[in-house]
This record gives sequence, C-alpha cells and structure tokens, in this order.
Amino acid sequence: MCGIAGVIYKDKKTHPVGEALTSMLESLQHRGPDSAGYAIYGSLDFPENYYQLNIEVKRRRGALDNLKSLLNQISPIFEEQLIESVGDSDVYKCKIALDEFSLLKPCINEIDDLENVRVINGSHSFEMIKDTGKVKDIAERFDVSSRMGTHGIGHTRFATESGVDRYHAHPYQSYIIPDITVVHNGQITNYWKIRDPLERKGHTFESFNDTECIVHYMADKLDQGYKLEEALDQAVIDLDGPFSILVGTPNGIGIAKDKLGLRPGVMVETDEIFAVASEEMALHDVTDSDEIEQIAPGETRAYTI
Amino acid sequence: MNEYVIDANGMEEKELNRTIKEQAKQHDKLIIDNPDSKHNICAGLTEDVEIEINGSAGYFVGTMAHRPRIHITGNAGWFAGDNMTEGELVIEGTAGDGAGQGIYGGTVIVKGNVGSRTGEIMKGGTVIIGGNSGFMTGLLMMGGKLIILGDVTEDVGESIMRGTIFVLGNVKSLGKNAVMGETTSEDQKELQEILTEYGFKLDETDYANFKKIVNMQ
Repeated sequence: MCGIAGVIYKDKKTHPVGEALTSMLESLQHRGPDSAGYAIYGSLDFPENYYQLNIEVKRRRGALDNLKSLLNQISPIFEEQLIESVGDSDVYKCKIALDEFSLLKPCINEIDDLENVRVINGSHSFEMIKDTGKVKDIAERFDVSSRMGTHGIGHTRFATESGVDRYHAHPYQSYIIPDITVVHNGQITNYWKIRDPLERKGHTFESFNDTECIVHYMADKLDQGYKLEEALDQAVIDLDGPFSILVGTPNGIGIAKDKLGLRPGVMVETDEIFAVASEEMALHDVTDSDEIEQIAPGETRAYTI
Repeated sequence: MNEYVIDANGMEEKELNRTIKEQAKQHDKLIIDNPDSKHNICAGLTEDVEIEINGSAGYFVGTMAHRPRIHITGNAGWFAGDNMTEGELVIEGTAGDGAGQGIYGGTVIVKGNVGSRTGEIMKGGTVIIGGNSGFMTGLLMMGGKLIILGDVTEDVGESIMRGTIFVLGNVKSLGKNAVMGETTSEDQKELQEILTEYGFKLDETDYANFKKIVNMQ
C-alpha cells in the first residue's frame, strides 16, 4: 500500500512542518509499517554551498573515525551529530562545504567507497529523515517535531520490492538537480523503459527501486526546463503501472496519479495551505476544512511558493 | 427513540465495530462522534438501526451492511457501501472511488462529487450521486440503478451488462458495450419518485433531460 503525505504553507514562512507531517504519517501508519521518512524543506538555513550529509554508520571499530578522516579531507566539518538508531548502525549527520553543487554526488560516491558506511542523502535546503520502523518511533528518534519548514513530504512504506532498510525508505533523492525528492505509492511497470534512456544520458542509479527511477525521471525533466506541473503531466504519460507520486522541490510540492487512478490521492486547499495525502484522515491533521478533493485518474496537482 | 452515543476518538477500528454491533442490538439509533475517517465503520452490520456518523468515514464504510440506515455528515473514502445488500447509506459530503461498488440492494446516496468507478460491478439497488462522477462510472455493472445528477467523465458504463445509468449532466464518453438514449416517461416518473424521496429538488423539466445508458444489446 504505502502512505504519502505533503503540506505546503502559502505564506512562505516557516511552520512546524515536522510536527504536521508526523501527525499525517501517524494517521497513515496502517498503510505501511516497514519504514517512514520525511523531506522537510526550508528547515536548513545554510549559506550557499553548505550541505548536510546523513550517513549510515555501522557500529564497527574505526568506522566513524575513518568516515570523519575522509570528510576532513573534503571539507571542514562545521556541525555533527550521531543519532542512535536501530539494527547494527547509527546515523551520523554533519554539515560540510563544497565549492559547488556538482561536487556533492562525487563526494557521496567517495564516502560510499568506505567500508561500513553509506550516505543516506546530501542536501542544501531541506532535511531528509528516514529510517526503518514506525512513524512515532522515528519521529522521537530524530526529534522531527522540532523541525520548522515551509513545506515537506513524507511516506510510510509497505515494501513490495527492494530491501526493508534505511536507504530504501522513502523519500528518494536525485542529484541531477539540487534538492529534489519523491515519495511514491505504487509500482512502475515500465521501469526499464524509463531507466534506460536516463542511464544513456549519464544519470547513475544506486538501486533497482522504482521510486529511485521516478526521482531521476522527474529531476531530468526539471533539468530540461519543465515546470513542476509540466513534469508531472509528462510523468502521467510516460510512466505505466499504478502510482501516486508526490514530488518535493525547494519551492513546491506536486502529485501525479496514474491514468487509471489505481492508487489513492486526496487534497485540500485553503487560504493557508495546500496539502495532499493518501487518505482524508491525514488531511484533517492539518486542516479543519471538509472540502476534500479526490485527485482524478491521470490528474496532477502542484503548488509552488 | 432509544439512542446511544459512541465516542470513536482513540478507538481501534475493530473496537469501534464491536461496540457498534453490541449497541445496535439494544438501541434504535447510534451516534458516532469523532470518526476521524476510520475505515470499515459499520462493516457487516445487520441490525435494523439508525446510525449517525458525525464527521467523515474512511474506506469501506457500510461494507456488507444489511438493513442499517447510515448517515454520514462529512465525507467518505473509497468503496462506500461496498457489497451492501439492504439498507441506506447517505453521505452529505463527497466520496472517493468505487462508491456503491458491488451492491446487491439498498440505496447509496452521495450528495457531493465522487471519484472514479462509481457503482462498479453493482448487481442491484440504487446509487445516487448529487454531484459529478469520474472515470469508468458503472464499470462492469450487472444490475440496479445508478443516477448521477452532475457530469460524468470518460468511459461511462464500460463493459456494462445489465442495469441502468441515468445522467443529468454531461457525458464525456461512453465505455465499450454502452449505448446512450432517451428516458421513457416511466423512467422519468421513477426518477422523480426516488429523487424526491431522498430530498433532491429538481425542476420538472429536468427529468426529461436525463440520459439513459444501458448495455448495447
């Protein structure tokens, strides 16, 4: 199944997006027990060319020291935090500086070459939080409720492909353009037809997960100059299978539903917010409005600030 | 009237349905506060009881119900009234996909708009939609009456076998197996009786404007 949720505040000011998304995802917990995640935009007030890295570090002797040693060769570490998590690994979060965005993906690749570590993501304008387990536990573990932001997207995962681990939790991110994320409920059945041309253009894939394919697809379209709404419209044409896709960018969120409308999606728009979710109950966590709209088969909706 | 109020706040779905079934045996009317769009409310309920849901319900509200008269003041999610055999389900707001899916009898009424595949595989009964209905309305319909007062989008009556779809608004396109014609005076009289009974106020002239969609044979 999977649950998706997103909210954007029209006044462009920061709001307790972490708390709002946590409430929405807790309402959608029944749609996916395996993992959950957030992309909270506007939560990092970083100077240009500063990035936050979230890195999974196994509890092995020397793993964290080796990681920090490599990071210090790339950039000074301006802030750092080790967050205890479940399983045999923790999450190391740090702030670094790079000369330009194009160096972020090579930096991540270099870190991934180390043993016992894996980069979950690197971002400039949003914070990615994702882990295995229930929403409530993840929210407490990462203090999500304290996160302020302008907008964000979130997900509860019922895994139907790929492993159940921190990396395969949604959101997925692409580095074709800065700070684009996707959460997704569904299956893309023409996966290779979408992936092949992207790979031939030089885009690299880290997994066989269809949500990773979607985020690269969307990033590639936005990189070509498509607006968010246009990229979503094109996704409805190009992607086969049942899906509801929710995209986050530094200035907006948008949803697309497959042509047959086989995955749910509802939305509400008020003077204050634009919000989307898999089910109505999640929308009532962020609005008192009963003006709930069903997103139709093949329909796309987006809001940018 | 012998009433009982259930506060669904914090209740698990199973606990709520268990309480509904227990109290329905002892009361004429149950009022459910704080439904919070929970799924499967009143699933399999077979008592002759009035149910007032104050707020919105989630998926499969009234599924497999037989005899209860359920009134929802808010909205409903997917598959409202699924496989109902007897009784009434009235939704004041909107509903998601598959409203009235597979009903054998009874009446499902949605005052606002609904999603796609409304009344799919319904075998009997009546489904009334006060607003618009989406893609493949009446998909694989096998019986009953599906009445839409607003517009319908693509592929209305896709693979319809039996039953009748009446549409007052615009029809974007018909599905395979479906043909559209005019209503008879008997159809119009029956529509007036049904819609008046459920509080829909139409002009006399509107009844002649309904389009009738049936299997092409």
